[in-house]
Amino acid sequence: MGKYLIKRLLHGAVSVIIVVGIVMVMVYSMLDRSLIFGADPNFVRQTSNTRTTYTYLKWEEYGYLDYVTYQDWLGEITRNGEIDEETRTAVVGFGRKPENDSEQVAEYVAKFTEYYQSQGYQVVRLDAKMNGRMPVKGGQQALFAFRDKPLVSRIVKYFTSLVYIDNIHRAEEVQGERGLTFTWHDPAYGGEKLSPAILGNGTTHKYLLYMDDQFPFIHQNFATINLGTSYSVNTGVDVFETMTKSQGSYVKSTVTYPTGLVEESADDLHSATYMQGSHEASELNQARFTDDYTNISTAKNGFSKMGYSFVIGIISVVMAYVLGLPIGLLMARHKEGLLDKLGTIYIIFIIAVPSLAYIFAFKAIGTTLFGLPGTFDMELGGRAMFVLPVISLALPSVANLMKWMRRYMIDQMNSDYVKFARSGGLSEGEIFTKHIWKNAAIPIVHGIPGSVLGAMTGAIITERVYSVPGAGNLLTEAINKYDNGVIVGVTLFYAILTVVSIILGDILMATVDPRISFTSKDR
Amino acid sequence: MDHDLKNLGIPEEKLFSFHKHSELESEKITAPRYSYWQSVFRVFFRKKINIAILTVLAIVIAFAYIYPAVTDFDPYKNLLDPNAKHLSPAQAIEKFGFSMEYILGTSGSGKATFDAIWNGAQISISLALICAAINMTVGVVAGAIWGFSKKVDAVMMEVYNVVANVPYILLISVLVLLFTASFWTMVFALTVTGWLGIAYFIRTQVIIIRDREYNLASKCLGTSTIKIALKNILPFMTSVIVTLLATEVPSYISYEVFLAFIGMGISDMSLGRLIYEAQPAMVTPGWELEFWSPVAVTAIISVVLYVVGQNLGDASDPRTHL
Repeated sequence: MGKYLIKRLLHGAVSVIIVVGIVMVMVYSMLDRSLIFGADPNFVRQTSNTRTTYTYLKWEEYGYLDYVTYQDWLGEITRNGEIDEETRTAVVGFGRKPENDSEQVAEYVAKFTEYYQSQGYQVVRLDAKMNGRMPVKGGQQALFAFRDKPLVSRIVKYFTSLVYIDNIHRAEEVQGERGLTFTWHDPAYGGEKLSPAILGNGTTHKYLLYMDDQFPFIHQNFATINLGTSYSVNTGVDVFETMTKSQGSYVKSTVTYPTGLVEESADDLHSATYMQGSHEASELNQARFTDDYTNISTAKNGFSKMGYSFVIGIISVVMAYVLGLPIGLLMARHKEGLLDKLGTIYIIFIIAVPSLAYIFAFKAIGTTLFGLPGTFDMELGGRAMFVLPVISLALPSVANLMKWMRRYMIDQMNSDYVKFARSGGLSEGEIFTKHIWKNAAIPIVHGIPGSVLGAMTGAIITERVYSVPGAGNLLTEAINKYDNGVIVGVTLFYAILTVVSIILGDILMATVDPRISFTSKDR
Repeated sequence: MDHDLKNLGIPEEKLFSFHKHSELESEKITAPRYSYWQSVFRVFFRKKINIAILTVLAIVIAFAYIYPAVTDFDPYKNLLDPNAKHLSPAQAIEKFGFSMEYILGTSGSGKATFDAIWNGAQISISLALICAAINMTVGVVAGAIWGFSKKVDAVMMEVYNVVANVPYILLISVLVLLFTASFWTMVFALTVTGWLGIAYFIRTQVIIIRDREYNLASKCLGTSTIKIALKNILPFMTSVIVTLLATEVPSYISYEVFLAFIGMGISDMSLGRLIYEAQPAMVTPGWELEFWSPVAVTAIISVVLYVVGQNLGDASDPRTHL
């Protein structure tokens, strides 16, 4: 079994990598990349050569290509020590036309060109656009190199940076000695409460291990998941963080800053990450912090996107199984009876009517007849706003489970062992609950991990109709905003969930039914 | 036994008489004539509800395909008339005089809701039928090959695992952005990977039937694989295929509505697009009809197509023909 599972997981991993590769080809190569400027107000303001350089700069930010300007390159080799600062300042300004370059500049321009062309880059030099003796607005000369990121290196880089392992050499320069310290009294709580924590100096995160009152109570930052940085949906934030970060309005609490300053604030000190030079840069930071770990996120009262989706999803999944299975069982038990007929009509209704239509119909009924809130409001809170989304999400799953439960039960009803049990004098009730149910439930069990994990991804229509701030719309939002990082990250997340839930389903099925075995040896 | 008969005194000739072999008589079959499709329709029309539903289907088809052809629908007719927008049926009839097109009022851009619905229905039904036809044909053929060949199975399972994981919405939106959001782009987007699911379903069915004894016997007798597929397995699968078709057609209508709702639908005024554009009218008192009438028509079309398909699927199962 173990060997088989490893094989399955490896197969799954290969599929996931191919899926990510296909999606990368789709978003980075097949789509027209000039579309990202459609909604960019800065793009129109750029003219002439600066518009060209702006275009390449943006394309680099969105992850389409590698883009290096001559100035960047000079800065880079100065840092490496190849040339000194003096030479850099001497050669950094290049002529409006190649003919105008001084000898020394021409030498470095040639070096730049040669170096990047050997790397497969394309080197572009834009001559200054002149209006008489003055360059036109935005018509300054430009020299840069660019290349499309090759797919293989893009995939390799993506998967190798998927898990970010923090260590004490991550930060560039720190005050004091690099290292980890363990404390029984977390300084974020004023240093008196007993709460063990591991703090790092030189790491990206200040708190590597800490406890708080949020689920799952013990948190770690040694390894963080990095699905890809968002560009336009949630600028600069990782996709995984976008999905898991809490939303809503600030929750203030008494915060003791490292300097000893006590304030009412929503800052979550546990989220502190390193930001070079930030301590020096602002007076506020100097009043609060003693080092460069000043990049802090805030505590909010709502769930995360995934949290809302999962809460709604999981309640509806439980509802669906609790309602769907017994109703399906009763429909099979009293085949052709009133319940069976009503149930069949309901199943037909759900299958045939577009989901959009019945969700809207349901919303109308729920809000007008029962006075339930029809839109989600994080500020208002309360449990009532969950009712309609949960029910709307449960309706189709109930029908689906009813349909399959009935089908499997009826298929089992004609089998020999049931006839045997009946001839042995067992009551119908006993046959149904002890014999048929157990056999009919096997294929149903296979879908349970899928529906539980699927609850995390959210539902597009339900979340839109009730304006739930969930994860379901992340993909469509990213597509509409051409946020390639998010598209790839969300796809990877979905693909992993699918692969894992199929494998878990198989395991669960094999545990429920001892006859099922995945290795030929066990048979 | 022999002995006893002789004791009874009946001569052997009276017990048995020789009969001449007749070539002509042996050609006749004693079983009653059975035609598969005739029986399908006999069983189908035996249920009175089917006749009623077929009538509804005929009316829907007539409205979707004949009505727009005979009437001249101009969606921009009242665009510039500020008094023609969001009219209730009574107001519209009062304003324009009684006419079929105004019995459901007008929409936000002044177009007659009734006409818009049937023009949209034509597009949506055509899209669903074309997609279903392509996907079913490709899916059934590919699924049969997939189920028969173990080598193809190994490769296709991997392909299926990969393609099933590429988000469908992403694929469609990429295709829509690559080409234009036209009718045929949508057909392409819905069929380019849509057949895989059907092929997978058929593959499973084929594998179940493939190794049954009668097929093994047929194979032992030297029947070619193609003949086994066409003569032994395809008739067995007819009811499965028809049932599948019954769920596929409404699912494409539903999918089209869904895509239009999330803003990735086609540019033509299909039912989905109509619902999408009438969305704000849903919550505005007095305008609800604009939103609910296309929703209701979509629901009616899907239910009718589904029920007809399901009952046809039941009727095409030979076990119901007794």
